[in-house]
Amino acid sequence: MARYHPEDELLLEYAAGRTDWAVSICVAAHLHFCPSCREQVAKFNRIGGHCLEQADKVDVPEDALNSVMAMIRTESRGEKAPNPTKAAPAVKPAFQQLPPVIQKLIPDSGKVRWSFVTPALKAARLETGQDKYEVCFHRIKKGGTVAEHDHNGRELTLVLQGRFSDENGTYSVGDFLMKQPGETHRPTATLDQDCLCLSVQEAPVKLTGLVGRVINPFLRVRPG
Amino acid sequence: MAIAPGSTNIVASTTMREDEWSQLLARLATAGDEGVFARLFRHFAPLVKGFYLSNGGLTPESADELVQEVMVKVWRKAAGFDPRKSSASTWIFTIARNSRIDYLRKHASNEAATSTLESEDIWSEGTDNPPFVYLQQSLDQRDIDILLSELPQEQRECLFKVYLEGKSHADLAEELNLPLGTVKSRIRLGLSRLKSAVNL
Ligand SMILES: [Zn+2]
Repeated sequence: MARYHPEDELLLEYAAGRTDWAVSICVAAHLHFCPSCREQVAKFNRIGGHCLEQADKVDVPEDALNSVMAMIRTESRGEKAPNPTKAAPAVKPAFQQLPPVIQKLIPDSGKVRWSFVTPALKAARLETGQDKYEVCFHRIKKGGTVAEHDHNGRELTLVLQGRFSDENGTYSVGDFLMKQPGETHRPTATLDQDCLCLSVQEAPVKLTGLVGRVINPFLRVRPG
Repeated sequence: MAIAPGSTNIVASTTMREDEWSQLLARLATAGDEGVFARLFRHFAPLVKGFYLSNGGLTPESADELVQEVMVKVWRKAAGFDPRKSSASTWIFTIARNSRIDYLRKHASNEAATSTLESEDIWSEGTDNPPFVYLQQSLDQRDIDILLSELPQEQRECLFKVYLEGKSHADLAEELNLPLGTVKSRIRLGLSRLKSAVNL
């Protein structure tokens, strides 16, 4: 069970549909692991229901109901198979354990392209259809430490496999961390296994450690 | 935001909702009745349109287009509606929210074209979307309505603006001419009341 959660304000904005696309993906992936945040979002959805019920009614065109009925009849006559475009994606064995929302980000080939960042860290960029955030897998080698870095923008991290720790704690599968600009940390994977994380970064990361100066920020990691 | 008079002395203890719209939607789910659908349409279509217009980002014409899309989905997905898990208004809210997100993404840029995801993959819609298996509901819609109506005005206002006007916390701070911290703490206070009520 996850021990580190998004703040309620973030869950509220998510439920209201206000969070950025990439941030929303990360929140959704956390929800996969976290019944208590799911419960919280269900409650915030109910605030949305309340707001809808209280909205000022605005007339729709007179023929709207007829158009909708026509669409429905056409559709049911078409006897379309339910969601034809949404056939279950081919199983990608290496990623089977991941939340469905993350599995859908993995190319049909079932492979992501890993790039070397540091001896302890590999990164693979994921295409999410937005460019405000860089969305990557980060794989920290077991026992490996990522150079200390701080953030020009927000950085969200969700642990997907394994565990890592930093100055503030140890994070396991499902744990959700948000670092604000200016906060630094130095993640270290546990010794028993590699640690796979989803990383969502708002702006380029600056490496601040001694070694950091010669290393490209994660954000410069591009497939190819 | 109007508060129903006398709402505070309602004690919601039954698991079955008395909300007639939820009952109607449940009937639609089992019977697929066009007459039932027409009643739901006349109630919810103007609400969804009003909700969209206060949300911003949509012209009245695009709001009309989206309202129709939402109502088609209401019909199509009705079988997944369970009145024990959700009220009609919350269920339709989630569909309306998701439709708006997809619409804005589709029209704003070429972003959606390169995405393998749709809003439904990210935001659970209704109650039928795995992996979002709902736990036993600890608060029903009426409890939420009552709790919200009992919040201090300033907290309620901040909460609602996030939904109704699409304000981020930072937008709100600017609009209300308050420090961001104050807005956040109002929202936080409002939320903590809702949260503590869950364990009643
Ligand atoms: Zn959580």
